[in-house]
Amino acid sequence: MEVALLFSLVIGLLIIGVPIAIALGMSSVLFLLVFSDSSLASIAQTLFSAFEGHYTLLAIPFFILASTFMTTGGVAKRIIRFSIACVGHLPGGLAIAGVFACMLFAALSGSSPATVVAIGTIVIGGMVQVGYSKEFAAGIICNAGTLGILIPPSIVMVVYAASVEVSVGRMFLAGVIPGLLAGFMLMTTIYIIAKIKNLPKEEWKGWKEVFASGREAGWGLFLIVIILGGIYGGIFTPTEAAAVAAVYAFFIANFIYKDMGPLAERRQNQLSTTFAEEPTRKSLWLQPWAIATAFFHKDTKKTLLDAGKLTVTLLFIIANALILKHVLTDEQVPQQVASAMLSAGFGPIMFLIIVNVILLIGGQFMEPSGLLVIVAPLVFPIAIELGIDPIHLGIIMVVNMEIGMITPPVGLNLFVTSGVAGMPMLSVVRAALPFLCVLFVFLILVTYVPWISTFLPNLVMGPEIILK
Amino acid sequence: MDHSKSLIDQIEEMLIAGILGAMTLITFANVVTRYGFNKNILWALELTVFLFGWLVLLGASYAIKKSSHLGVDIIINVLAPKPRRILGLIAVFICISFSLLMLKGAWDYWANFANLPGTEGRWFPLGFEEKYRNKGWYEVNDIPHPAILGWMENVFNEGEEYEKIPRLLPYFVLPLSMALMLFRFFQAALSLWNGKTDRLIESHEVEKEFQKDSYQLLDKD
Repeated sequence: MEVALLFSLVIGLLIIGVPIAIALGMSSVLFLLVFSDSSLASIAQTLFSAFEGHYTLLAIPFFILASTFMTTGGVAKRIIRFSIACVGHLPGGLAIAGVFACMLFAALSGSSPATVVAIGTIVIGGMVQVGYSKEFAAGIICNAGTLGILIPPSIVMVVYAASVEVSVGRMFLAGVIPGLLAGFMLMTTIYIIAKIKNLPKEEWKGWKEVFASGREAGWGLFLIVIILGGIYGGIFTPTEAAAVAAVYAFFIANFIYKDMGPLAERRQNQLSTTFAEEPTRKSLWLQPWAIATAFFHKDTKKTLLDAGKLTVTLLFIIANALILKHVLTDEQVPQQVASAMLSAGFGPIMFLIIVNVILLIGGQFMEPSGLLVIVAPLVFPIAIELGIDPIHLGIIMVVNMEIGMITPPVGLNLFVTSGVAGMPMLSVVRAALPFLCVLFVFLILVTYVPWISTFLPNLVMGPEIILK
Repeated sequence: MDHSKSLIDQIEEMLIAGILGAMTLITFANVVTRYGFNKNILWALELTVFLFGWLVLLGASYAIKKSSHLGVDIIINVLAPKPRRILGLIAVFICISFSLLMLKGAWDYWANFANLPGTEGRWFPLGFEEKYRNKGWYEVNDIPHPAILGWMENVFNEGEEYEKIPRLLPYFVLPLSMALMLFRFFQAALSLWNGKTDRLIESHEVEKEFQKDSYQLLDKD
């Protein structure tokens, strides 16, 4: 009863325009002060322990930083060139290449909005130029961008792993097959639409272009090897992998691609087309001190600040969600919900439907990571009771979050896409709808075929041992 | 672009960028020393974690100033300006109450670590506690106490040596950030009252700026 009050308070505060973080924090504080004997001091301690006690969460700022460096540093641009070289000649080529580029970028970055920004800023404009409608372009990128949190690395997976204490490495591996599958489903849909509507295709530029662009993009794509190889080779922890990725991305951007930092030649005053000609760049040999100055260059500072701002807003929500989680576990809500559901005789299938519905509704109002922090501990014990694999549950939740990101009102990908494409929110919503259906089918598939998620982690890391 | 920013803006931005950069480099350096020199930097993890806390908590007040906190704006978008303003004022009142409560909590938690009294009272501070335990001697686990902070031993530890930095240092961010948050919410309340802004959370007007940004980003290519 009291818990229902708590949740209605959260929703009420959200609706009147209180920031998500404060809505979560304030509701928990009021609840604790009224219904329990915790003191304000202990709440402050809980707030700080969000950082002190969750080493896993530390990976998030580093993944954000790495992907910010790759967005500003020209990795995205080269990935797109490579994608177009590979699949651009198919019917609807540029659209399929957009999805492919989103998948590749998703394998470097852990966030969906970041993927939309990185790929969308270039591809949407490009697609419109060769004759696609803006709606079609925006709809595709908006959906394909959600793969950012499904294909490892993934910030949302890190949050899930931290809040129910499963291995981040396992979660990342579990995302590989579903990620490829979702990408493939989107591409097939585009292919079919392209055949029917006779959409433009690009010229096949030959294997030479594939290799040339592949070599260029290779510097960026090598990050996949660093992150996944590093984690599964036991070389470093996921957090360290993220930090190494950030430093690597910084070096690539500054010294190899030279799209930012002291070696980039700034051209003034130009209205660029999407595929602008290459700027002239300085050589490191002529300017060896650039190695030191790059760290303090204003591009570096700006990138750090952008990544920092994102980290702050995201983690402040998570930290306050952790206070709410603390309330729920204190009140033993997960156990109550579990016993209520089990005594009502729900089987695994019914349970998964309920989880889907809760997350789909919640995902429309909440930031995905914050929602996961709250819902994951609620449903986790039930899932274990019903014999559902925790990793499988995690992937289901991530896919639900993907859909949440493209359904209003708090669809982060919608905001970002409407910004990138310069379209009003409502038209982006409409544009995203047809492909949203594809993701729905995908969600059902992932929910009821656990093998898709559990095969790879069990193969590589051995079967999951569930401790209860 | 930097010239149009106030000094405070620049300081805050330098802190956010600097702390994130430091966290990354420390973690990276730890990997390098582990494989290059075969030893871990013992204090690296703990320092990074504390910096992480500082980054987010201090950054939260900066995000208030820039109205970049996320929220649900579907309702307030369809309202007429007048009811929107009223809801905005209610929302900011709730935020201010939250900051006040958390400021009290943060002080109570931190004060004892600095040998200071916490406050009495459950909801509101009703004067300082008379009896409390001095926890100035509590140290963190790994970060060694630098010589430059030697003065703290006399102030907080009766002249006894700190081997590791005292806990009061990292925890200081709690009262500090909550006080800053309170201040920023007051400012936000003021500009809501004066009609300069109409909401606390990130709005879609930001998109235009964002869009400009991303095209600039393109121009650099």
